[in-house]
Amino acid sequence: MRESRILTLLLVGPALALLGGLFVYPLGYSLVTAFVDEAGNAGWGNFRKAVDFYFIDIVFTAVIVSASTALIGVAAVAIGGYLVLGENPRAVRVLQWLYRWPLFIPFIVAGQCMRTFLAKNGLMNNALVASGVLDIDQTISLLDWRGLILTFVWKQTPFVALLVAGAMASLDRSTIEAARNLGASRLRILVEIVVPQVRRTLVVGLILSFVTMMSVLSVPLMISGDSPTMMTVDMAFRINFYGDYGVANALGFISYVMTGMVAWVYLRQGVREGGHR
Amino acid sequence: MKIRSIALPLTAAAFAAAVVVSAARAAEVTLNVVTAGSQNMVDYVTDYLGPMFEAANPGVKVRAVGTGPGDAGSQKIAEKLYAQKDAGKDSWDVDVAVVHQKMAGELVQKGVLSPFRHDVATGKLVTAADAKNALGTDVDGFVFPMFHSQTAIAYNPALVSDPPKTYAELVDWVKANPKKFGYNGIKRGMSGVSFVVGWIYANTPDAARLMGGPYDPNLKTTWSDAWSKLRDFNEGVTFTAGNAGTLDMLNRGEISMGPVWVDMFYTWKDEGRLPPNLKLQLIGPGMPGQPMYYVIPAKAANTEAAKKFVELATSPQVQAEGIVKKFNWYPGIDAAHLEGKLDEATWQKLFADVSPADLAEKGKTFPIASYFNDILEEYEKNVAK
Repeated sequence: MRESRILTLLLVGPALALLGGLFVYPLGYSLVTAFVDEAGNAGWGNFRKAVDFYFIDIVFTAVIVSASTALIGVAAVAIGGYLVLGENPRAVRVLQWLYRWPLFIPFIVAGQCMRTFLAKNGLMNNALVASGVLDIDQTISLLDWRGLILTFVWKQTPFVALLVAGAMASLDRSTIEAARNLGASRLRILVEIVVPQVRRTLVVGLILSFVTMMSVLSVPLMISGDSPTMMTVDMAFRINFYGDYGVANALGFISYVMTGMVAWVYLRQGVREGGHR
Repeated sequence: MKIRSIALPLTAAAFAAAVVVSAARAAEVTLNVVTAGSQNMVDYVTDYLGPMFEAANPGVKVRAVGTGPGDAGSQKIAEKLYAQKDAGKDSWDVDVAVVHQKMAGELVQKGVLSPFRHDVATGKLVTAADAKNALGTDVDGFVFPMFHSQTAIAYNPALVSDPPKTYAELVDWVKANPKKFGYNGIKRGMSGVSFVVGWIYANTPDAARLMGGPYDPNLKTTWSDAWSKLRDFNEGVTFTAGNAGTLDMLNRGEISMGPVWVDMFYTWKDEGRLPPNLKLQLIGPGMPGQPMYYVIPAKAANTEAAKKFVELATSPQVQAEGIVKKFNWYPGIDAAHLEGKLDEATWQKLFADVSPADLAEKGKTFPIASYFNDILEEYEKNVAK
C-alpha cells in the first residue's frame, strides 16, 4: 500500500514539477510584480497607470474578442449544422474538406496573409476592382478593427466548428428525423433541436477561443491601426521600450481577470451539469 | 572467445577515435555573436562577417544569434547579461553583442561591459560623438559603432513633385493631400518613433536640451501645444503596420510619402520590392538616426577572439564592403577612412538623395534616455488616446 503511494508520487512528480516551475511560479511572480511599483513599494500604482494610459485599449480588447467569439459561434454552428443537415452530399464533402484548413495556419502567418489581402490596394480589393464590383476610388483598407475581427473569426472558427461538428454528428438522429417528419425547416431543427443538445461543447470551444484570442500579439501588431489597439501590444510596448514590467504585469492581471470571468462561466456550467449526473 | 578477441581491439579503437575527436573539438573556440535588430543583422554575421573571420582564424567558429528587432532585441541581450552577472558566473556565453543606442548607456552603468575600444587597432578610426556618449551617458571605450542609420521621408516623385522640406511644410502638404502620408505610430517600429521625436524637435524650442541634457522632469509639461498639433496632423494620416508596413504601402501606392530607415529603403529598392523611382528627403529641422554598437561583455568567455572579431568588423575594408556596399548603412568609423575603398557609384548612391551636408545639418540623435521615455509616454497619453 505504502509502496504504491510512493510510486504514485514518483509518477506524478515530474508533471507537477513541470507545472509548478513553468506555469505556477511565473504566473505567481507576474501577479506579485503587478502590485510592486518601480521604487519597490507595494500598491496599486501600476494598475492606476495601466488604466490611465490604456483604458480605451482594455475596452477595445474586450469588445473585439467578445464580438469575434460571438461571430465564431454563429459561423461554427452554421458549418456544423450544414455538415449534419445538408442535403447535397457533394457540398457537404467539399465543406468538410475545406473548413479545417485555417486550423493549421499559425496566427502570425494569418496576420501576414490578411495584411496583404485586406489592404486598400490589396488582393481582395484588386480582385473586386478587376471583376467590376468596385471602382478603384471606392476601395477602403480593412486593416483596423474590422481586419482584427475578420482574422480572428477566420482563424478560430475551424477549431470550434471541429468540436461542434463532432458533437452534432454523435447526436441521436431520431430527434432530427422526427422533427423533419413533422415538417420543421432545417434552420428550425438546427436552432431548436441540434444546438441546445451541443450547447456545452459549443461553449467550451468558444471559451477556449476567447482565451486564445486574448493572448495573440502578432495579429494586432500586424493588422490594427495605431490606436486603439489590443492589450498585448501595450504589454509588449511597456516591456520593450520602457523595460517596465510592472505596468505590463498589471495589464496581464487585467486580462487574467477577463479570461477568469469567462472561465468562471465555464466552471459553473461544468459543476451544474456534473451535479445533475 | 574469438569474438571477444576481435571486439576488444575494436572497442579500444573506437574509444581512441572518440578521444581524438573530442580533443579536436575542445581546441575549437565558439565565438557567440548575439545581435539585436532585424534578420539582416543576423545574416550579416552568418553570411558575411562570420565566414571571413573563421577563414582568418582557424579553430574559431562564429555562432550568430538574433534576439529580434527594435529595442526589444537589445532588452533581451541586457536581461541575459544581467542574469549571468546576478548568478555570479565567471564566464558569460555572449562574446560580442550588437545593441541599440538606448540600451548602451544602461549596460555601461550596470557594469556588464568591458572597456575594449581603445585596445583594438581600429579604435582610433572613429571620432563621432555617439562613440563617446550614448543618449546622455558616457560610454567612451565601451562601445564601437557598427554603423549609423538614419530616418528620412521616402516619397514617390510621380505623385509628389515638390516634396516638403520641413515638418511645417509637411503639415501643409498633409492638409492638401489627406491620408497620403503614412507612418507607423510609436508601437510598431522605430521609423514612427523617429518621426514623432523629430516632431517634438520641430515644434518645441527644446531640441538641443533633449539631445544633450540635463534632464528636467517638468519639461514635458510644456509640450501640450506640440501634441495637440500632432493630434490634428494624425487625423489626416494613414497608419501603417510597421517599418516594413510603410514601405509596403508606398510600394502598393496606398500612400505617397512616409518616414523610413534609409538602409531599409535602399535594400528594398535593390531587391526590386520598391519602385525604382522612389526618393528620399531628410526634412528639417531634422530627424533622428542612431548607431548600432558592438560591445564586449565584461566576462565574455573569449575576450581576445571577441576583440579580434570587432577589429575585423570595423576595419575600413569591411566597413566599405559590408556596411556601405552590401547593406546600405552609413559607416560606423569616420567616412574619411573609406575613401579609395569604395567605387564612385556606391558612394554616389548612398549620398544621392541625402547629401553629406544634409546629413550633418539635419541628421539628429535620439533624445537622452529619460527624455526619450517622456516623449513616448506623453505621446501615449496625449495623442494615441
